[in-house]
Amino acid sequence: MTGPQHAAPAMPARGQAASTRWDLVMRLGLLGIIALLVIVFSFTASGFLTLQNVDNNARQMAVVGILAVAETFVIITAGIDLSVGSLLGFGGILIALSLAHGLPIAGAIAIVLAVGTIVGLVNGGLINAAALPPFIVTLGMLGILRGLTQISGNGQQVAYNAPTFTNFAVNSTFGVPNIFWVFVAICLVSGFVLHQTRRGRYMYAVGSNLESARRAGINVGATILTVYGISGFLAAIAGILLTARQAQGDPNAGTGYELDAIAAAVLGGASLFGARGSMLGTFLGVLLVQILTNGLNLLNFDPQVARIAEGALLILFVYLDRWRKPKMAVA
Amino acid sequence: MVVTARAEKPVLEARGISKRFGNVIALEDVDFEVHAGEIAALIGDNGAGKSTLANVISGVIVPDSGSITLRGNPISFRTPKDARAAGIETAYQDLALAPDLDIPANLFLAREILRPGALGRLDVVDRAEMRKQAEEHLSAFGIKVGSIDQRVDTLSGGQRQSIAVARTVLWGAAVIIMDEPTAALGVAQTALVIELVKKVRDNGTAVVFISHNLPQVFDVADRIVVMRHARRVGTLDPRIDTMDRAVSLMTGAAELHLRHL
Repeated sequence: MTGPQHAAPAMPARGQAASTRWDLVMRLGLLGIIALLVIVFSFTASGFLTLQNVDNNARQMAVVGILAVAETFVIITAGIDLSVGSLLGFGGILIALSLAHGLPIAGAIAIVLAVGTIVGLVNGGLINAAALPPFIVTLGMLGILRGLTQISGNGQQVAYNAPTFTNFAVNSTFGVPNIFWVFVAICLVSGFVLHQTRRGRYMYAVGSNLESARRAGINVGATILTVYGISGFLAAIAGILLTARQAQGDPNAGTGYELDAIAAAVLGGASLFGARGSMLGTFLGVLLVQILTNGLNLLNFDPQVARIAEGALLILFVYLDRWRKPKMAVA
Repeated sequence: MVVTARAEKPVLEARGISKRFGNVIALEDVDFEVHAGEIAALIGDNGAGKSTLANVISGVIVPDSGSITLRGNPISFRTPKDARAAGIETAYQDLALAPDLDIPANLFLAREILRPGALGRLDVVDRAEMRKQAEEHLSAFGIKVGSIDQRVDTLSGGQRQSIAVARTVLWGAAVIIMDEPTAALGVAQTALVIELVKKVRDNGTAVVFISHNLPQVFDVADRIVVMRHARRVGTLDPRIDTMDRAVSLMTGAAELHLRHL
């Protein structure tokens, strides 16, 4: 028999059980909190369980959700991308300007996706080449992009006229908003890449221990470039969708969205210490943040209360995360 | 000094290796050899040059002079990657493994098996196949873990070291270098790793074993090379020579003794 043999009882099983149990608790806890919020808001917030509100939520969470997916890739490599919100804003203005200048829709989309990807690759390249902390590189990029966004649109809303483009964001297919379908498709493809492919596995390996990944022969630099490139590409998609949905380019779009994206990924189980997190978890995290924000809004709380709750939850979950990784057992 | 005569040629042979770091002579005209199916221990006091020699063999350090042959062919490594490609692996302690990944993922790290056909072209990994081969490989070397699906950070130190060693064997290393493989381990865990090192040797692999622990070296090694002040000062046969002899060579007491005779 070649099956796993059972070890002396004292050695390994405890740590494994503890960490698996912890992951399970987190996942079930997340589902429990979501269910609890849905129940509470259904009874207390009028209009919460209406078709109109569900539709609205689906549209809102799609845009932030795409950023959270982007953030998940980066966080799994133990990095962070603070520039996703401002890249969304920059991409959003860029597509509005392109369309306003009469570019065909496909061409405008291609340009914005290329720009987003290049910005992401610049982030990753600087992190690799200059060995700078991701936090600083992407914070700097946040500032650069915010400035560029204001300059390119003269600080004004940018109007454009492209009905096919805006209709896509307004319409639904099989009763579900198109932009929510885009979000679902992105989640599925991202989940596939992350959990099924070799490149996805390298992202976890780099986040788990960069030096051992390097020594094993993984191209660490290429892996880091890839995740920041993906992040930039996805942030550009989110910007395109938001501009389509609002039927104009808004120079302030995406401000503070990096908090939503990071909070959703972390609440969904991604660890800022790297190598932990899943697309399903991030999807649940996005759902939680959306329901919380929407419910508090319907209950006539100041919109800032949701921000406060979100920020507090983020800090709490990162704090709890410290107990998640079992310390390397001492022999 | 007893040098066991061997019929076959060494797998790895280093001749006249010298290395200076500024004014410090780290290695001076050192010869070293290890045969297939042999555990050659490297011993010596701190700074005697053991680790520098190991780093030269594994491509981490490029020597100033000297030659290395692998299976009779001259080689010169510029990087550890070159050495690995040639079949010389180093079993690093915790630096070898990705703690958050499970055992099969670690055994196959950077050498994943892909699914056959179209899925493989999409870069999809074959989890079931890697898991099966990992189980077979661990059981062939008698490495026991609670579950093959455990993450490596849930394993004991000895188990992790065993996985790191098993990985080098899985990738067909001709020579495995182990620098203090049991330094951080307790008694029972050390015994596990030593048992594994002997199995690896019996499997036909050449093992370079570096340790400070003389009783352990005398237990595990087939041949002991003693370093002192950047030079090779002797070769011992653990079946015949004593630990006192090893200590006197390491500390230079043997030279003094000779000089005063």
